[in-house]
Amino acid sequence: MSGSSDLKIRNGRFTRRVLMLGAGQLGLFGLLGWRLRQLQVVEAPKYRLLADENRINIQLLAPSRGLIFDRFGEPVASNIDRMRVFVVPELSKDLSDSLKRLGRIIDISQNVRTRILRLARKQSPYIPIVVDDTLSWQKFAQINVMSPGLPGVRTDILSVRQYHGGHDMAHIVGYVGAADKVEVNEHPVTRLPGFRVGKTGVEKGFEPKLRGKAGVIKLEVDARGHAIRKLETHASQPGRELVLTIDRDIQNKAMERLKDERRAAAVALDVRTGEILAMASTPSFDPNDIIYGLKDGEWNSMANAEDDPFTNRTIRGQYPPGSTFKMVTALAGLEAGVITLKSKFSCHGGYSYSKAYFGCWKRGGHGAVRVRKAIKQSCDVFFYNVAQRIGITKLSAMGHKLGLGQTYDCGLPLQKPGVMPTPGWKRVTLGKPWYGGETIIAGIGQGFVLTTPLQLAVMTARIATGREVMPRIVRPFADEEVKPAKPLDIKQEHLDVVREGMWAVVNEGGGTAGRARIPIAGVEMAGKTGTSQVHTASSGRKSSSLKWEQRDHGLFVGYAPADNPRYAVAAIVEHGGSGSRAASPVVRDIMTALMERDPVSKPTYVARDAVRKTAGGNRGGGEG
Amino acid sequence: MFAGPLEAPRLSFGEKLLSFNWVFVLLISCLACVGAAALYSVAGGSFDPWAETHVIRYCLGLGLLFAVALTDIKVWVRLAYPVYVVALVLLVAVPILGVESGGAKRWLQFGSVSFQPAELMKVALVLALARYYEWLPAKYVSNPLALLTPVAMIAVPVALVVLQPDLGTAVLFAAVGGGLLFLAGASWIYFVFGIVGVLAAVPFVWNLLHDYQKARVLTFIDPGKDPLGAGYHILQSKIALGSGGVTGKGYMQGTQSQLNFLPEKHTDFIFTMFAEEMGFVGSMSLLIIYLLVLLSVVYMALRCRSQFARLVAAGVGITLFVYVFINVAMVMGLVPVVGVPLPLVSYGGTSMITLMFGFGLVLNAHVHRRTQFRRHEIGII
Repeated sequence: MSGSSDLKIRNGRFTRRVLMLGAGQLGLFGLLGWRLRQLQVVEAPKYRLLADENRINIQLLAPSRGLIFDRFGEPVASNIDRMRVFVVPELSKDLSDSLKRLGRIIDISQNVRTRILRLARKQSPYIPIVVDDTLSWQKFAQINVMSPGLPGVRTDILSVRQYHGGHDMAHIVGYVGAADKVEVNEHPVTRLPGFRVGKTGVEKGFEPKLRGKAGVIKLEVDARGHAIRKLETHASQPGRELVLTIDRDIQNKAMERLKDERRAAAVALDVRTGEILAMASTPSFDPNDIIYGLKDGEWNSMANAEDDPFTNRTIRGQYPPGSTFKMVTALAGLEAGVITLKSKFSCHGGYSYSKAYFGCWKRGGHGAVRVRKAIKQSCDVFFYNVAQRIGITKLSAMGHKLGLGQTYDCGLPLQKPGVMPTPGWKRVTLGKPWYGGETIIAGIGQGFVLTTPLQLAVMTARIATGREVMPRIVRPFADEEVKPAKPLDIKQEHLDVVREGMWAVVNEGGGTAGRARIPIAGVEMAGKTGTSQVHTASSGRKSSSLKWEQRDHGLFVGYAPADNPRYAVAAIVEHGGSGSRAASPVVRDIMTALMERDPVSKPTYVARDAVRKTAGGNRGGGEG
Repeated sequence: MFAGPLEAPRLSFGEKLLSFNWVFVLLISCLACVGAAALYSVAGGSFDPWAETHVIRYCLGLGLLFAVALTDIKVWVRLAYPVYVVALVLLVAVPILGVESGGAKRWLQFGSVSFQPAELMKVALVLALARYYEWLPAKYVSNPLALLTPVAMIAVPVALVVLQPDLGTAVLFAAVGGGLLFLAGASWIYFVFGIVGVLAAVPFVWNLLHDYQKARVLTFIDPGKDPLGAGYHILQSKIALGSGGVTGKGYMQGTQSQLNFLPEKHTDFIFTMFAEEMGFVGSMSLLIIYLLVLLSVVYMALRCRSQFARLVAAGVGITLFVYVFINVAMVMGLVPVVGVPLPLVSYGGTSMITLMFGFGLVLNAHVHRRTQFRRHEIGII
């Protein structure tokens, strides 16, 4: 009996408890099901997104930067591959051991080794540290072959800009650098390590064309980030080739000619197209130094140098044009009708206005002076009279018409506009009213009047052609329509008399710049000297007795051939003394080189991408 | 109250086969098929290296199952204690003679065959406890002295596997042992005390844990803390699971699994891969198959007359449940990552043999459900 009751107890209890346990298991399975529903139904979209992020790795492909050539296809800026090796501390178990192994392949100096180890301690271990960025192909290949034994060591190839022409082209081409905060927000491709954007010169001015379009690779990756396959590829589009209007030969000659001056600038233009054939500014710098990384000290010493080599004086140097402005005054007077070709003013060596007295550079005076002679001999009194009669507003308007007081939309960044003063301008900038005396000195390009050498060259080209010539630094792109310059709307006889005066300056006895005559038979230059005072003490004193900073700026503008103008050149030698002595020989030499070489008569280089485009078009046509 | 004889007549082979639970065999075969299909997908659409072996192992396992099921139940009663002792000795031998692999000593090497004594213990513990309660008269079930022996029988192997260290197996032993004590009828009081005791021991045990075990528990608590470190597995597993959605990405289309974001995807994380490809519908279906297997085990246990048979059946059922629950809960981030395979689906020979042996015992109990033992047949040893 006891066994039987025992069994009963056992059976009942087992049945109860096994059902309880079963119910417990059922409940826990319910928990699993609930969790499964939460993950796979409720939160599925979130995890799907995470899965895609896991799986798809989007990589930007940096486009290769457009090459830059001079007008005849001489390379100015190109790209070279630089092979680098770097270490990622996080991926290397023992950094100093990795460096030791790497040291068996390439030389790593003790200094570099300490620097790397110090950096690795200081910054996030995920940031790569460059060990060497000038590897040879051989070493590069060797490191890649050995990479399994070099934990944390990585290599890459970086496209680096290389500038040909060094100092000579620096101000025109500019240079590239890492994108700054503003530029980084423009496009994500600028965040790629080693990506460079234009900082100055045409590198900056034509940045969008030079940059090209970034490509995209969508990669499917596994958990270790290894690419399994490409999902999508959009190849990058290389930047467009830039053909400068510059003739490197002339540019080199201009730079060579300015070499001995402390600060000077010269610009040569094709008067018909406005193409800048040379644009020289001294002192200069080598952009390759900046690309390859200046040390802090070097940069500061260059940037703070007294003569600031980074300033392109042809577009950023603002100088009183002095007597080179007299053509503007003459044309303004003639066009306004306050003088005629026959108007005569008498010069006794000075001019009284109100209570002030304005001297002529020639103390004895020029006697009776008409326009032509006034330009030829640069008679100040004649232009004082004209300026006083037309007033500052009309004078400045003529300056604008001839290209002064403005920047040009030609892809040269950081241009300064100079100043074509008006009473309104003075009120706004200086808060003072305009005085009549200021008009009078503006008539000879002094006072508030400021111009850049490029503007003076443009002015000269406009006078030479009578057209609204605009400067260009880059040859037209294949898909760019170039409109011929419009006529200036200045009477032909007015232009003619000014040109005659300019011709006489150089080629007639008694002209102010006889020394600017071109040593080529049958080629005559027309021009105008300018000597702008920078210091009141300079008036009437010999340059040699003054400190350099107090001496006058010497300027000269000219065009040639006088009878059929092709080139215009403007030059300034800072504190060089008189325009005749300091600047006219510079212009003469550059002009001589231009006449001898005659670059505008030669066929220019055509960008390869333009050639390809045309060729492709032809093929398409053939099929059609 | 029983009309029939206390001891059922010895069954012929044919009778045994007729009383076999064929539905149960069908259900576990379904699981093995799911496993083979999943392993085929894991290998990127190939029978090699896992799916084919898995099927062969299952077929061999079926042979073992039949052999175990058709053996007379008395043989298992007689073998219960000796098998337990052998398993215990081997477990003790592991730290001395064992082979280390992946930071843990779990294996014994016999020539070219390596063997995990803990696997044998999984079956041996169930047999030994069932054998003990077959002997113990019902009125002593809650007697503290009578409880001491089974608790020791459980505690010693638990301690030994903790030392290996193998947290998952320790939890399994404790759960199966505790479950059998509960089913045998021990008083509620002990379980209340037991649970309180375990909770009180947590801080102490925490100090005994290895760093990697602590890390697993910590990452379980906050998997986002170190997404590329210890929390990586859980996070990737959840991403794979969740991105499967309701209907899944399609067979062999699971991006996360196929692209190696998942660790151990052919063993411990195979449920994740299956759920990613088959979606909520598929993964729930798989859980339901497991539930049906469990319910049929409970059904079979309830129909057994002898304490030994039903405790063996229920014990194997608990083992299966703990495996499934820990594995599925782990891949969903409900419990810490412990290396527990998904029964019959995960790739792995050892767990397959253990499980088929266990299922063989369940069917053995079912076949011999009418068998009862006489008092004199069941000695204390």
